[in-house]
Amino acid sequence: MERWALVSGLRGDLDLYEQIQADLQKQRGTAHLFVLGDMIGPHPNCDALLKRLRQPKRRDLQPHCIYGWQEEQLLSLHGYRGEAKAEELHRQSDESEVRRLLQAVGTEHLNWLASLQFGLIELDCGLIHGSSADVGDELDETTSPLILLDRLTRLEVNRLFTARSGRQFRLQLTGGQIRSKVRDHAGEQLNDQPVPRRSVIGVGSSGNYTLYDPASDHIEFRSVHDQLRAR
Amino acid sequence: MISCLHANLAACEAVLSDIDQQGIDTITCLGDLVGYGPQPNEVIELVRERSIPTCQGCWDEDIIDGLNACECSYPSQLAERRGHRAHHWAAERITENNKAFLASLPMTLRRDRLLFVHGSPNSQHEYLLPDMNAFAALERVETAGADTLFCGHTHQPYVRELSDGAIRVSVQKDGNHSDSEQEMILPMRRIVNAGSVGEPRHGSTKATYVVHDDDSGEVRVHEVEYDVATTCQAIVEAGLPEVFAWRLSHGFEYAERAEDASHVCER
Amino acid sequence: MQNTWLITGPPGCGKTNWIRDTFLKHPGTCAYLRLSGSEQESLEQGHNAGIDSTWLKDQIPELSDLSMANDPLPSGPRLALIEVQQFRPPANSGPAGIDPYVLRQLERFELQPNRTMHFGLDPELPREDVLDFKHLESWHHDLQGCVWDPNSLSSFWFELVNGAYGDVYRAKALMNLPDGRSFLCNWIVSQQNSQFLPLEAVEPPIGRPNRTSHLVVQGRALNPAGIQSTIIDCLLTDDVLELHQAPLRNRQLAHQSNR
Repeated sequence: MERWALVSGLRGDLDLYEQIQADLQKQRGTAHLFVLGDMIGPHPNCDALLKRLRQPKRRDLQPHCIYGWQEEQLLSLHGYRGEAKAEELHRQSDESEVRRLLQAVGTEHLNWLASLQFGLIELDCGLIHGSSADVGDELDETTSPLILLDRLTRLEVNRLFTARSGRQFRLQLTGGQIRSKVRDHAGEQLNDQPVPRRSVIGVGSSGNYTLYDPASDHIEFRSVHDQLRAR
Repeated sequence: MISCLHANLAACEAVLSDIDQQGIDTITCLGDLVGYGPQPNEVIELVRERSIPTCQGCWDEDIIDGLNACECSYPSQLAERRGHRAHHWAAERITENNKAFLASLPMTLRRDRLLFVHGSPNSQHEYLLPDMNAFAALERVETAGADTLFCGHTHQPYVRELSDGAIRVSVQKDGNHSDSEQEMILPMRRIVNAGSVGEPRHGSTKATYVVHDDDSGEVRVHEVEYDVATTCQAIVEAGLPEVFAWRLSHGFEYAERAEDASHVCER
Repeated sequence: MQNTWLITGPPGCGKTNWIRDTFLKHPGTCAYLRLSGSEQESLEQGHNAGIDSTWLKDQIPELSDLSMANDPLPSGPRLALIEVQQFRPPANSGPAGIDPYVLRQLERFELQPNRTMHFGLDPELPREDVLDFKHLESWHHDLQGCVWDPNSLSSFWFELVNGAYGDVYRAKALMNLPDGRSFLCNWIVSQQNSQFLPLEAVEPPIGRPNRTSHLVVQGRALNPAGIQSTIIDCLLTDDVLELHQAPLRNRQLAHQSNR
């Protein structure tokens, strides 16, 4: 089984994407590239990156893309999300940034962005930009373990890969339990439920990305900036 | 707490009478005043007359917003057709004044550390079943900032206590070698489902409600017998499908709901 | 050796099941005929919609249907079983006890049973489920070309046999599902559960099947309008049927091309 590379937050930066591709090709054994949303952003021109993602070059590791928070805001602005009006974006940004986002993406890419999935389930792993509660769900290593466990339970996966917070971390549930007592017309039932052995992994953002080996369950946090500094 | 009245006047009157006899004066309603039953206006007006604080149920919302186009709420075409028929029947008959009242209902009600919702704090459509994942159940109460969560929607009453909980975690960050171990002790929390007044589904035709003692924290489920035949007759006279009367008199739901326990209807 | 037996009994006593089992054990040619019994005051016959013969022919493909005049009867040892719904046991055993109404039909088909058996009387036949009916109404509905939403069928059948549309003592049907299967649905009040038996023959999921489909109900205070109204809510329209069938066809195509 080959390794996965998990990337997010490219935000229209084609140079960064090419650096990551080059980095990945130097390492053997990485065969699957997942891009967890935020391919676009208020960048001068996202079209070049989008075109590259949709039509990879021959040497590129083929990217599997899902949509993220930025894509959600853009699609809302363009009316692809029913009544939604990108309130989050308006709350967080000023008008000029909203305009920049609108101008950053050509309309020829909108249908493709709208066709992207919310998340992927591969080998009992959930790959999602935020969580299934919300695309903007910022999960990091300080998030309450109760909430992290809930997000894992919602997708019914053992590993949850998330990108929204931008943090790189692996939080493993190592133990614990809870007692449930239910009283109803049938009587009383007592149940002890253990905490399942599951993890939430923050894959990072921009130049920080993650390599995952499903066979060994090993995580490696990487950064293209390290490679640049090392040269 | 009373819930899921479903336009069943005889059941509502019997339950309120039972509550009054115990001298309880703080009543909260967890929504679904209308839907399937034959007396939507009468039930809404009864709740309004008694000034019972009420949160909005999924049926109340549907009357205001129009038919929910999501088909996954119904497990069969038959159930869906019956549900739609009941919706149209109610929407045609509920007065504008009563519709405005339903529209004004809040999603949740709060009293100190007690929270009142129809389905769950997330959605009027989420079922909090007694066997749902215990950690997920606790998360619903804890994230909402409550000690006890009162809900309805399932039409099956229960009292669930989640206690003695802990989660241990280990965190690995950049650098790959720094692990830190932590333990989170979980607080004790409860979920209380009031069942249904107007369309009970717990295996009997008796209406149910729950009583919470604010001093001791004790919760009890109450069952109240009412004259089902009166409502059955009203169903037939109102021109609703006769099979609704049969289903009610046998303690079945009017139209079966989705079997998927964790179903959340996304709109 | 030619054997022609007349099998009679009240509704739901198990005539068709016994006939099926008997045919399956018989090594030679098998032939079947269902005749109408005589109407008795306040006891209506279940309509002969062809449900039993369709079911038997599905289970025993070489079965000759004696009601089809064009079916040439093969020579050689043959067992012909004739089924008649009859509430009361015959006054006399043997050919002398055959109901005159049935006798006239037998003459038309040129059949002379050399043996008669009645459920509840003859020890060779199983004794269970023989009920004594005092009053019985009958209702039936042709479902030719109709296809059911599967979950709706379950709900409808549950309501039907549990009294939502009157006191149903007996219900029997052949129902079509969108995946091309047909089910024999069988209920008698003395049995706790209904039988749902899939037919061997499966139609391809292309539109509406062309085969016998019917519902026959016997009971008291039946509510035909209510039954019909619910049936309409359970049946699939053309476009919904297509939504069910298109993925099945695609799956079949993919499976074939993978071979």
